[in-house]
Amino acid sequence: MDNLYIAPTPSTPEVDFKFDAHRLSLRGESYPENAAAFYGDIIAKLKDYLGGQQSEKIEVNIALAYFNSSSTKMLFNLIEALNDAVDTGNQVQLNWFHDEEDDTILEFGQELSEDFTSIEFVSHAVRPS
Amino acid sequence: MPSPLITEKYGSFFNLARQHQVIFYYVGYFSQHIVAAMADAVKLQLEVSGVAGPTRRKLFSSFIEMAQNIIHYSSDSLTPHTHSDGELRHGSVCIRREDDGSFQLLCANPVEQRIADELRVKLDALRAMTLEEIKQAYRQTLRDETPEGSKGAGIGLLTVARDARAPLDFDFEPADNTGAAPVFYLKATI
Repeated sequence: MDNLYIAPTPSTPEVDFKFDAHRLSLRGESYPENAAAFYGDIIAKLKDYLGGQQSEKIEVNIALAYFNSSSTKMLFNLIEALNDAVDTGNQVQLNWFHDEEDDTILEFGQELSEDFTSIEFVSHAVRPS
Repeated sequence: MPSPLITEKYGSFFNLARQHQVIFYYVGYFSQHIVAAMADAVKLQLEVSGVAGPTRRKLFSSFIEMAQNIIHYSSDSLTPHTHSDGELRHGSVCIRREDDGSFQLLCANPVEQRIADELRVKLDALRAMTLEEIKQAYRQTLRDETPEGSKGAGIGLLTVARDARAPLDFDFEPADNTGAAPVFYLKATI
């Protein structure tokens, strides 16, 4: 299937899902007007891809400097889909990048790792630029 | 030659803003583009003022939640209410600094009576909660199905309440006899 690339805007992240390389990245800030609409298509494409994988090693990089409440909800759904893919035989490593001073994003990452235990979760503290 | 009439007529408006230590104020229609531009301005303003990183992030987050609530729920709309994208709705937001170093974030927008009633119930409940209960409700709501008709996934107010250092304050300016919608005011201390 085709890779998915969406260029960043001030309020939406860069989406770089290299399905052929099994490396998926989200980078930037996320506060779209309608998060369900923005992430709906992305999650649908992700699920399509995941449905076709078996015993694959998938690397996911999420480096979001800020996300609003409705994006939080959508990220939760996105990571749930990745967790389901592990339960069907794949391996997922999620690299969770957060500003070292940002407790909110750190704590959300910790919650994700507690909820979705099938994913190999790696937290990375980043120095503010 | 300068006209003294300008100061006489409008000076009080600007002086009041200075007295109240207003660092950002916008009134008008809100679109996603305007929110993104304001986000830039607010971020810069807070950086320049030397506000500590964690406070800056909390203020920025609460500001975005408030501004997007206006886009989603203000009853004064230039776009049809059936639209869920490219919306333009009216309201105002204000950030002011307090003498003790905290910040106050305020927003105001008209809402339909039905929404006003819902907000009152939600906010009364939120005000009675401890921070731990707010965090618990946030975690629960994140895992629940999104309520029908909610564009903010129902966790916008919880997000603001979580970052505020005191219970959220709110008020409604009652609808007058012209049939105008009640105006909803929300205040968060960060």
